[in-house]
This record gives sequence, C-alpha cells and structure tokens, in this order.
Amino acid sequence: MKKYLFMLLMLIVSTVSASAQNTIEITGQVTDSKNEPLIGANITVKDAAGLGVITNLDGNYKINVKQYQTLVFSYIGFEKVEVLVKGDKHVINVKMSEEKVNAVDEVVVTAMGTQKKINVTGAITNVNVGDLKHYSSSSLTNTLAGNVPGIIAMQSSGQPGRSTSEFWIRGISTFGASSSAYILVDGFERNNLDEINIEDIESFSVLKDASATAIYGSKGANGVILITTKHGKAGKININGKFESSFNGRTKTPEFVDGLTYANLMNEANVTRNKGVVYQPEELELIRTGLDPDLYPNVDWKKLLLKDGAWSYRGNVNMSGGGNTSRYFASVSYVEDQGMYNADQTLKQKYNTNANYKRWNYRLNVDFDITPTTVLKLGISGNLDKRNTPGLGDYEAIWGQLFGYNPLSTPVMYSNGYTPATGRDVTQMNPYVTATQTGYNEDWTNNIQSNVTLEQNLDFVTKGMRFVGRFGYDTYNYNWIHHRMWPALYKANGRDAQGNIVWDKMRDRSDMFQEAGGDGSRREFLDLMLSWNRQFAQLHNIGATMKFTQDANIQTQNLGSDIKNSVSHKNRGLAGQVTYNYALRYFLDFNFGYTGSENFADGHRYGFFPAFSMAWNVAEESFVKKALPWVNMLKIRFSSGKVGNDNTGTRFPYLYTISGGASGYNWGSTATPNNYAGTFYSQVASPNVTWEIARKMDLGFDFVAFQNRFSLTMDYFNEKRTGIYMVRNYLPQIVGLDSNPSANVGATRSRGFDGNFAYNDHFGEVRWTVRGNITYAKNEILDRDEEIKVYPYQYERGYRIDQQRGLIALGLFKDYEDIRNSPQQSWGDVQPGDIKYKDVNGDGVVNDGDRVAIGATSTPNLIYGLGLSLQWKEFDFNLHFQGAGKSTFPIYGKNVFAFSERDWGNIFKGMLEDRWISADISGNPATENPNASYPRLSYGGNANNQQGSTFWMRDGRYVRLKNLDFGYTLPKTVVNKLHFNSIRFYVSGQNLLTWSKFKLWDPETLNPRGEQYPLSRSVTMGVQVNL
Amino acid sequence: MKKKIAILMFSVLSSGSLLTSCADYLDSDKYFEDRTTLQQVFEDKTRTEEWLAYAYSFLRNENAEVASKGFATIPAVFADDMYFGDRDYESFHDTKDLGVLNYNKFKLGEYNENDYNASWGTCYKGIRQASIFIQNVDKNKEMSSIDKLDYKGQARFIRAYYYWLLLKKYGPIPIMPDAGVDYTKNYDEVATPRSTYEECADFISTEMIQAAKEIQYLKRDMENVSRPTKGACLATRALVLLYAASPLMNGNTDDFAKKLVDDKGKQLLNSDYSEEKWAKAAAACKDVMDLGVYDLYHVPFNTTNAPGFPVTMAPPADGNFSEKSWPNGWSDIDPYASYRNLFDGDVAAVDNPELIFSRVNNVTSDMNSGIEALVIHEMPIDLGGWNTHGMTQKMVDAYYMKNGDNCPGKDKEIGRGDGSERLTGFTSRADIAAGKYKPLAVGVSLQYADREPRFYASVAYNGSTWEALGDPEASRRNRQVFYYRGSGNGYINAFSYLRTGIGVKKWYNPNDYTTTHSYDNIKRKPETAIRYADILLAYAEALNELDGTYQIASWDGSKTYTISRDINEIKKGTNPVRIRAGLPDYSDADYASKDLLRSRIKRERMIEFMGEGRRYYDLRRWKDAPAEESLQIYGCNVMMTAANREQFQQVVPIYNLPSTFSDKMYFWPISHAELKHNSRLTQNPGWTLND
Repeated sequence: MKKYLFMLLMLIVSTVSASAQNTIEITGQVTDSKNEPLIGANITVKDAAGLGVITNLDGNYKINVKQYQTLVFSYIGFEKVEVLVKGDKHVINVKMSEEKVNAVDEVVVTAMGTQKKINVTGAITNVNVGDLKHYSSSSLTNTLAGNVPGIIAMQSSGQPGRSTSEFWIRGISTFGASSSAYILVDGFERNNLDEINIEDIESFSVLKDASATAIYGSKGANGVILITTKHGKAGKININGKFESSFNGRTKTPEFVDGLTYANLMNEANVTRNKGVVYQPEELELIRTGLDPDLYPNVDWKKLLLKDGAWSYRGNVNMSGGGNTSRYFASVSYVEDQGMYNADQTLKQKYNTNANYKRWNYRLNVDFDITPTTVLKLGISGNLDKRNTPGLGDYEAIWGQLFGYNPLSTPVMYSNGYTPATGRDVTQMNPYVTATQTGYNEDWTNNIQSNVTLEQNLDFVTKGMRFVGRFGYDTYNYNWIHHRMWPALYKANGRDAQGNIVWDKMRDRSDMFQEAGGDGSRREFLDLMLSWNRQFAQLHNIGATMKFTQDANIQTQNLGSDIKNSVSHKNRGLAGQVTYNYALRYFLDFNFGYTGSENFADGHRYGFFPAFSMAWNVAEESFVKKALPWVNMLKIRFSSGKVGNDNTGTRFPYLYTISGGASGYNWGSTATPNNYAGTFYSQVASPNVTWEIARKMDLGFDFVAFQNRFSLTMDYFNEKRTGIYMVRNYLPQIVGLDSNPSANVGATRSRGFDGNFAYNDHFGEVRWTVRGNITYAKNEILDRDEEIKVYPYQYERGYRIDQQRGLIALGLFKDYEDIRNSPQQSWGDVQPGDIKYKDVNGDGVVNDGDRVAIGATSTPNLIYGLGLSLQWKEFDFNLHFQGAGKSTFPIYGKNVFAFSERDWGNIFKGMLEDRWISADISGNPATENPNASYPRLSYGGNANNQQGSTFWMRDGRYVRLKNLDFGYTLPKTVVNKLHFNSIRFYVSGQNLLTWSKFKLWDPETLNPRGEQYPLSRSVTMGVQVNL
Repeated sequence: MKKKIAILMFSVLSSGSLLTSCADYLDSDKYFEDRTTLQQVFEDKTRTEEWLAYAYSFLRNENAEVASKGFATIPAVFADDMYFGDRDYESFHDTKDLGVLNYNKFKLGEYNENDYNASWGTCYKGIRQASIFIQNVDKNKEMSSIDKLDYKGQARFIRAYYYWLLLKKYGPIPIMPDAGVDYTKNYDEVATPRSTYEECADFISTEMIQAAKEIQYLKRDMENVSRPTKGACLATRALVLLYAASPLMNGNTDDFAKKLVDDKGKQLLNSDYSEEKWAKAAAACKDVMDLGVYDLYHVPFNTTNAPGFPVTMAPPADGNFSEKSWPNGWSDIDPYASYRNLFDGDVAAVDNPELIFSRVNNVTSDMNSGIEALVIHEMPIDLGGWNTHGMTQKMVDAYYMKNGDNCPGKDKEIGRGDGSERLTGFTSRADIAAGKYKPLAVGVSLQYADREPRFYASVAYNGSTWEALGDPEASRRNRQVFYYRGSGNGYINAFSYLRTGIGVKKWYNPNDYTTTHSYDNIKRKPETAIRYADILLAYAEALNELDGTYQIASWDGSKTYTISRDINEIKKGTNPVRIRAGLPDYSDADYASKDLLRSRIKRERMIEFMGEGRRYYDLRRWKDAPAEESLQIYGCNVMMTAANREQFQQVVPIYNLPSTFSDKMYFWPISHAELKHNSRLTQNPGWTLND
C-alpha cells in the first residue's frame, strides 16, 4: 500500500505549477428576479479552482480576474450564470433566475464519473434524493421500494436496529450465494446502505445493465448502486439542520381472542375429534367471572407486552462552505428508535430492557486545491450504533412467546408472587417476563471509513485529460454483551383436597450472567483512473477512460481454525471505456472490465467482461425538430454485455481438505494392536469453480417533452445467468465421496421491465408534480443441481426461483361418502371437515408426488409507486403510494393451525369465524360448509390439514400510502430577519393506510407465522432550517 | 515540466497494470502450501498407513460378514439356520425397536429401498479411497519399493473385496474407472450402468490376480494379521468364480433373471449355461490349495479332563478315518474341540492355519453388533445374556448322528421325513452315571443324544451345560440351562426367550461369562470371513457339476490344471471337512451321483458354516431360497413347562417366526436416492424404482 501512497504524493508535488499575469478588478451586484439582493452568492472563475468570492449583505462583490476569463455566478436554487470578462467593463451586475429542473441537462453519476443524462447509453436510474428524504426512516433501504425504478424491495421487520429492507436490482436473478447489489459510496465498496445518513447523499444512481456495470467485472452482475456524498462549495458557510420526531404505531399486528372464546373453541376442537371437553361448564364460568385468576386467568398478553407505540428521534446538522483554496462539508446526525415493549419501571434506574436503537453518523469531506489544476479530497466518515434488546428476547423469541401464550395459560404473576411459565423450555417463558425480567443485551457497531482522493486536471498534457486516484481504508467492529437472568418459574397445577394450589416448579432461578462476542473486518482500496474527453469539429465527441482498482477485505475476528478464513478477500481489475457520439445524436460506447478474484484457482481467477451500448437521440434529427418541436429528447438505447458475480459464499472452493482421525483399522488383533486412524478427503476440491456470468440485454428509451415538463423512461431487460455456483448434492454414491464438490451449474433467465415518468406543471401559483415508477421482473430457473424426479412438475427448473409449492386444496370433505370416493390422502385418517387435496398425477393416492408449483414467490415480482407533490406559496404537500404485486406466501405455525400445539399458541381473532363445524355441535347442518375457509378444528397436530397447500397460500399483493408529507416554509422576509435562509416545518405520516387481501398481519413482511416485530405506522413532526 | 508529468502519469498507470502480472496479488496459494496436501500424505509412511486404514475401515459395521444383527443390514443373520427374537416392535411394543428391521419383517420382505442401505455407499467410499491409494503410494519416500508394492496390492485387494461384498448383496453393480470417476463431470457423464454379473466377476478375478502378484506375503505376522495375503486374494477370487458358476447367475432363464437388466435392457445374469465356469471355479480353488499354506484347524486328541476341555470323545470307528491320523483320519485329533476353538477365541488369528481372510477384531467398533454380541445374545438370561439368538429345528435336524446317519424323524414335519419318528425320552441319572449319551447331562431329550461333534460345539439344546468357568460365583458355573416355560430362561411375555426352544452356542467360549450384558469377560473372537473349509467345499461343489474335462491355467500361468469330475479330487475337498468333524466319509453311491453329492455338499455347508453368513447367499445362488426360505419354521413347544417336557420336545410350527420368500429377496434393493442420482442405474426386480 505504501507504494501507492508514495506515488500519489509524487503526483501532488510534481503538479504544482503557477503562472502570473496582469489582473483587473471586477465589482457588481447580484440580485434575484425581483431585484432583491442575493446574499452569499458564489462568484468563481471558470477553470481556476480556488479563486472565488461571495456577495455581501447588499449582494455586492469584488474579484480580481484576468482578461478573457469567465466568471461563474451560482446560488442554491438559482440557475448558474456565466459572464466572460473582456474589454473595459469592470462592473458586472447579474440578475439570477430561479432554477428550473431540466431533464435534458440532468447529470448522472456513472462508474467513470458524472455524465449528462443525454450522453448516457446504459440503463442507469438517477434517483432523486429529495424523494427519499420525504420518507422519515432511520434506514435508507426502507425508502427504496416504490421510489426507485428497477428496485424490488421488502421490509420484513420493524424492530429498532433491524427495521431494514432487503432489496434487489431488477429482482432476484440468481439462486446462488449472493443476489444483492454491489454498493459503492464515493467509489468505495460498502456492505450496508443503512449505515449511510440520507442527508449526506449528493447523488444516488442505480446501474442496471451490462454497459453500466461491465467495468465492475466479476462484481457487477447483481447491479450496482453508486452514491456520492456531499462536498463543500466555495462561499460563505451554509448550515442545514433537520430535526424530527416520530411516533411509531403498528401497521397491523394480529388480534387474539379472549379467554372465554378460547376455552369454548378448545372444547370444540376436542369434541370434534371425538374427545371430551377440556373446560367444564363451571370452569367456563370461572373464566367468565375471573374469580380464580391463578388457575383461570384471562390475560391479554398483547396489551400487556406492547405499548401503543414508541418514539423515534432524528437530528442532523451539516455545514459546508469554503474559501479560495479549500472547501468542506461536515455533518453529524443522531437517530434513536425506541422499542414498543412495556418495561418494568422499577428497573429503570438500573438498565433498560426495552428494544432500542441509537446511531450517530458523522462525515467530514474536505477538498484542497493544491494547485489550480489539482484537488486533494479527504473524507472521514463513520457511524456508531448501539442496539438494546431484552435479555432473552432478542430477535423474534419474544414474539414466539407472545403468540404462544393463550389468555388462560397463566396469569402475569401468581397471587403469591410466583412468576409463571407454561413450559420448562426457555422458548415458553412468559413474554412479559422475557421482556422485563431477563436482563438486557447490548450490541455495538463501530464503522470508521477514511479516504483520500487526488484529482489532477491534465489539460496541459492534452486537452480533456484528467487523472483521479483514490485510496480508502475502513475498519468495522461489532461487539455484543448479553446480560441474562431469569426468575424461578412456576406453574399452578390445580388445587389439592385442602384447596391449596399445587405448584410445579418449571425452572430454577438464574442470577445474572453474561456472554459476549464480536466481529470485525478491515478493508483497503486503491483506485486509479485516467480519463480523456474531447470534442472535435463541434460534432465528434470522444471519450476514453482507463481504471485500475484493487481492494482487500479481511475479517479480523471469529476466524476459527481454518486458515482459509484469515486470507483477505481480494480483487483487482483493469477497466476501460470508450465513448463516441456524433453531434449528440448517435452514441456508441464500449466498456470492459478485466477483473480477478483471489477465491478461485489459478487459470480461473481473471475474467474479461465486455459490453457495448448504443443510442440514437431521435429528437436531435432535424426532421424531428421541425415536425415535433415539442419533443425535447427522444433517445433509444440498446446495450448488451457480460458481467460476473464472484460471491460464491464459500472460501477457496478449489482447495481440498485432508483430515485425519477418522475411523481406521487395526491390522493386528486385540492382543497385539497395530491401530491406525483414518486419513481422508474431508472436503474434495472443486478446481474449476469460478464466478457466475450474467449476459444482460437492455432496450430502453428516454423521452422528454413539453418544455421538459414531461419525462418518461422505460427499459426492457433480458438477462441470462449461467454458471451459478452450487454444491452438487446429487452425485451418486458410486463416486465414493465423503463430501460434495461444488460447481458452476445453475442457470436462470430473468426478464422484465422498469420505468418511470414525471410530469410537472403549475396551475397559477400551484406547482405540481406527478411521478410514478414500476419494476417488474420474472425469473425462471433454466438449470440447477437437481436429482431425477418422477414427474416433470417436481423439477425446480422451468419455475421461478423460490417458487411456492404445495398441494392443490379442493375444499373440505363433505362427509364420509366424499372421503370414500376420493383418492386416499397419505397423512393420517381424515374426517369430514378436513382438507381435500387434488390427486395431480392420478395415481389414486395423494402424497408428496402431488405437490406442484402454486402461486408465485414470496418476494414480490412487481413493485410500483405513485407520487404527487404540490407547492403553493409557502406550503408544500407530498403524497406517495407504494404497491407490490405477484407475490404469494404460505402461512403456518402454532397460531395459523389453531390448537396444533395444544395449548401452546393463541387463537387469531377472526381466523376461525368461517370454519367447518359438525352439525352435532352446532345443531345446524349449514355449518358443515365444504367451502369454509377453516377446516374442522383439531386439538394437537393434524398432519393432513397442515400440509403446505393452496388452502394456506395467501396473496401478498398490497398497496399502501407509504408517505404523506405536509410542510410550511416561513416567508423569506421573516426568516431573513432571524438571520436564517429558510425554515420549514412539516408533518408527515408513514404507512398510514394499507390495502391488501391479507388481513392478519402486515403483508409486506411476508412472514408465514406473523411472529415478528411489526412494521411501524408513524406520524412525524419536524423542522428544517438553513442559515 | 508538463512532459515530466505526462511521463509520471503513464508510469503510474502502467505500474498498476504491471503489478497485475508480477507477484500476483490474487495468488493465495502461498498461504495454503503448509496445509495438508495429498503429496505430503503419501510421502509420509504413517499418513500413508492412515490413508489405507480409512480404505479398510469400511469393511466394518454394515459390511461385516460374521456379526450379530445390530446393524440389521447384514443378511447373514436372516437365513434359515439361525434367527433372533429381539428388536421386534410388532410383538413386544418396545418403542426403541420401532422401525427396526427385525427378523420377522425381513422374512416377510417388509424392508424397503431406503432403509438399511448404508453398505452401498460405504463400499464405494472404500473403493475410491483405495483407488487414490493405488494411484499415489509410489510417491512414498519412507517405504521400500517392495513395501509399496505390497501396500498397493492390499489396496487393490480391499477395492476388489468391496466389489465382492456389493456383488453378493446387490447383484451386478457398476464398476468404476480405475483412477476413480472424475466428480467434476456432469451427472450424465458420471452415470454408470450396472455391469453384468459375469463382467463383475471377471473384473474382481483379474484384480485379485494382480493383487496376489503385488502382495508379498503368504502369511502375515501378529501385527499385520488382518492384512490380506496372496491366499486371501486367490480365495476371494475362487469364491467369486464359484458364485458366477452357480445356477442363479449361470444359465438362468427365469422371469427374475429376465427382469434384471441394465438401462439398455441387457440381461445381467447370464442366461446361457456354461459348464466351464464351474471348472474355472474349481481351478481357482486349486490355486489356493496348491499354495500349501492352509490346513483345517485341529486340536490333538486329549486324554486328560480339564475344565472346559473334557477328554476327547472319539467318534465311532468307521474303519477308514478312525484308523488314520491327520490329515487322513481323525485318530489323533479332537473333532469337538477343533471345531469349537475355531470360533470361540481360543486360537489367535495368527496361529490359525485355516484362516484365509479375517477382519480379526475389526468387525465393528460397536460391541453391540459384533461377534461378542452374538455370544451375549446366545447366552441365557440366568447367566446375564439376552437369550435371543436361537436355532431352527431344520438346522438341528441337519446335523448328523455321530455315526454319520440322519437323526430319527429328520425333517418329518416339513414333509421331508424318511418315515422315522423323533426319539422320545430323556437322559436319566442312571444313564449319565453309566457314562451314556456323552456329553449330555441329566434330563435332556434323547433327540440330542449321539450327535456329531459340531452339533455339541454349536447347539444350545434344551438342558445343555453352559460352563462360564470364569465366573467368580461358583453357582453360575457349569449350569445346565433348560428352556421350559416357567424356568428362568423359558417362555416369557418379552423378547428374551428362544422362540424355538433351541439356542446357539457357536462362538461361546467355556470361559466366557457376563453380568448385565457386559462384554468385559467375553473373549474376543477373530472373524472367519474366509476359511480353508470354504475353499475345500467349493472345490468339491464345483468339480461335482462337471461332465467334461477342462484345461485351465493356474492364476499365475505357471501350470495348467486338468479339471474334471474326478472322485479323488472331490474327496480332497470333502474329506478334510468330514475328518475334522469326526464323521465318516460319504458313501460311494453318494460320490457316484451328481445330485446326491450335491445335496451332501449343500448340507455339509449348512452345518459347517452355521451362523457364519454363508447360508443366506448359498440359498440364493443355488436358487434354493424360494423353497427353503418359505418353509414354516419349526421348533420345540415352548409353551410347555418342565412337567410336560415330552410335549416340549414335540416339534411344532413356531407361530411368531413366519417365513416367506419372493423373488425380490434374491438381491438387496438399491436406494431410491441412488437411482435418482445415477440415471443409468436399474433397480433389482421386485423393488420400486422411485417413490
């Protein structure tokens, strides 16, 4: 590494050059369109970094320049103005007009730097960061679904510190070890988008096709996310603050029945299976009256455990500015998400048992102009997280208990002060005890990232040449300490002859003890880039870029004994790009990546990933200009190429492992032993393993019209993944291996489209924008490691990745006649009211051979969003809907299958309303409804009814009002008096409304059991200031 | 200045790309050079031994040949000679036995393709491990070239032996490439069909000849006694060729054979009879006999009474063997002790001239399933045993009288009697005092009197004496054990009783004793995988089938045998076994008739190898299994108490030992998973292809 640093230093030193000429002084005033002076506007000299001044309180400025230099006037929210200095004119007054968003001139960040959108030939989504900021969340990933075309995302938990979303660019296109995108922040790889403070983001692009990602070679197959963070601009200090607090309720959590309903249903479940009732009439009476709360309690565990909601606080302050030779951007932010468990107030002084998450982010970006042509950028950023959870209630354990305890299980506390539990196992501890009496867990994460970038303008070598060198160094540390304890647990087992409760001790008390652990890693990056752009004859635009990258990532903890784990993950690559366009009309790009991974055998390490793309901007053709003057841009794009994915999830699969100590042999006898233990291949080598390859094709167009008011982008993509890394599980035993090798055997195809539109206009003083986006991706497994199947429909190939499978339910058995006349079902005896399945293969038996693909996948195949923004005077209003389609998920578990685990598992309110009830019980033949939505109740497991089938498949489609935002900005006159630039107050709501066929819990989580910290429905109030 | 910068710029970029080629940044192999490599394993003698030890290790457990029923995968204990009564959930409802393959389920064909099928996988693991050994052992730097050759021969033997174990159990099997199959190939390329039985037998035969050439030893020393010798290679080859010549595989035109085909429809059991196959088998036996290193184990005539070693009971004079000394007669040997000691652990493997191949003490690492477990399961409850391994009446009847006659009433109940009735009456105190009916004690049915010595070394009849000489408690020594209902070892409503009222005593050593089923005081017994008696009887059997005369080269090509049905040659096979057993020779009429002699040899094998796992495979290769294994099993009437001892000794069908045979039971089923993973594999007839 030292070598590279030295080279960078050499560059810095050697590029110092200066020249002196005669200068002239220019003065003037900068005003807005209403002739109000603009305070703090920037005036810089074009192509002479570092020479800049700002206007004073009256909008006046003074600057020394040379003849024929160009002054650049800029101010946030206003169009840039450039004025050439010539002749004797020494006073230049400038009137600046407010900025109009211009789709044609929009700038897009690509792998090789920034490009104007009009020049882009690949499929790149430039995300409007402002749209993401509307959504008040501690996690960036939660803002992506329905906001970013090309991204399929879902949030599965709302637990503080874990309330993040999983996302995939253009859906899941591999069943290999990794289907997640490659994330780069300021050019450096990051694992986790959620550790980034949204307010620090300057630009956010999603690179989707081969031409945009080929230069990432063996890392780009799953798409790339590029984020750049904000840098300071010369001028007076600019301070932004944003402070908000949210009250987080729950979108939807299951409701449970009360004790009496539970007891009656339990009786029915027994009677319907020819057993006696569990609760006698007098016991039901005791439950109803609550006279014996120790033995016949009636507890609403949910109410007991959960508060109505919890608070979140988020604050962010950033400062930017700079002078002649340096600029800075500094930000700090704080996020706190509180948990919604009720806590034991008496412990408050000692420690917090609630779920809780805090994060501090900081970032400092400083740019130095070392010479007029050299910029050195230093970036330091980091985040510190602290997560708190109840001692035994981390993850979903506590939810399992909440869903397990029925209203009659135990009281919260016995009247003699004993702590109750229904089972001896930790998982059956009562949820209130788990949340409040079992200690607390703390998790910490520290991330520190530092980087140095050197940018050298090489116009003096040849015009349009530029060099960028980057070096980065990150450390990551994670530590956890669990402080755990539990009280002695008892269960009341009836009363003895004297009427005293018989106590069963379920578990001895444990005093507090602790467990601890951690994880860590370290990363280094080096990135050198040389680029050249030039225009010839006003028509030919040529560009070329070469880029060398190298990185190493090493795990520093939990390495185990295998030396494979301590070797750095390394990559190295050379990438290049050549672009050409003729008069912004015809475009042709060629990109390539030649990259390598250390994880593969010699000869399989390096790969070449080429891609090309072309575009035709129809709007620039003169006949179009003439005939359709309202078209601002109509560009048709096509790209095709190859990208790789080197994340196999396995370290060095090409190596074998030989182990000793296996069973061996005695060549002597017991009297004269001559024993040897066995030595063998405990893991065979897979020498030919390499990365998976994605061949991507993209056809798209960008359309801008009506004076840039309307824009539409649509892309169709078709991708074929081959060589997906898999363990080969189905070698026959005749091969004689003790372990399974792996190989690049899987293949998939993924097709779909994504796109977005926006329309903005105004009615009088009301400015409005409507925007929408859609992403649809459908994949199909073309090949994978599979054994021979009897029926073709049992193969995974030919179906989607993670396709749901199960039996086809035909309703419920009407009567014994119906059972006799139907194919035999293989999961125990059936009775009328049990689920009847289809004998798909017609072999007269319903068994595992009749499982077929049903529905789609649990991950949605379609995600869309629709937004509306309004602005009127000082008021702004924003509305955003998000929806997901083509998603099917199964439900099961101790609650879905009522009484399947006997008294462990509460009953969902409403789920059993429409069930099959024997006429013997209800006295009404109509309740023997073969089309009821719940089969005859069972007590204990019912293998027949619990088979995965269409009966329990649920439609995961939903539409939700993801965000509603209303803001008021104080008038400038008021604000300026307070020496502020702007102050905005706002109220917003997240997940306020959800429309879905699935009613039991939040459909977005796609959780089959519902036992999960729910997503939040929150209301946020905040203020944004700028000074 | 600008020029300088330009030069510098390019040097930075080009140095970047140069770094790619020199000192490869991504080459991680340097970190792994000190991990264990195959090269290092084979350069080092100890690790080479360890590699080989793992190759041998699969001979154990489910691939054992003489063992107790513990793995429930060893067909040896499921024939018609010996049975076991435990592990029977259906009868005794002990949940720990749920789903275990018990004797009854097996006899009713109630086992399936997917359980108890580990031996297929483990044999092939051994095959691959041995193949890698053969490919690499020459790398060794610490072993002499002679040792390397011997070790290569051992690996080759083991590999061929696994094929032999597979061939016996599953029938024709896929033969893998010599270097091991390339597992990086795709599934279609790896898929291998089953070879024909003949191809399998030829392959094993060729490999065994090669191994016999490589192996340097005719006899191994104490520390290497379980390694194969040249003789082990040649003996295995002889048995393989004997099987290949047998009716199931030679000239089989039955429906079963027509259904046993490979993926192209080729029949795997030969439908064209070839007599020469018998001649080849006989010649292969001759190869072993001509090595001159083997002899049947025998103990000298004993004239002094010692605990556990009574004075030799000389067999009745036959005017032939009784006049001659070993090897031509029995006058100077003790037939009872000779046969008993062969199994009971008294003779060490290395001292036993009869042992050709043995796992010695490697049968299993789990004592509960090895030969010692056989003993514990034979021993009566009163002496701390399990009392579950018993014998069928058919087996009891097979044993000769000591003068070579059949016992009275032999096989009467199964319709094969000669009109005679079973003896009634019991030994009296006076009889014993007068020295009659040795070695019976008082109160024993006369049906068990005057039988051949192997009977007394093998059968725990009602009223036999268990010595337990090592037992510190005097009252437990030399105890006579009866199986009457109501006695401690008779019928009870649990598995620990002998369903036929007849027990097994083979492998029991007079010094063995136990308390609470512990193995501590059970002497270790070397396994008898292949003994010289196998070769002798195989030789006789093969010769008996010949009509023509064949010139067959010896294994190493050094000589040519003339093979025909020569009575004198046949006697070289039958006589030593009869002499060691203290029995007279077969009659001339027996020798004159192919059929009579065949049935004599079959019966001899049944007796000689009782419980040693030969019977199961013999019945199948002879195609006798459909008749023999579907016969009702008979035994004593265990419901009778001592007061009704006459009725106890009346032979009755044993209601809870059913027995059937269907064609599918000729060969063990191949697992569904294996059929799903090898597209060219075919299932054995009668078993399902898939679920």
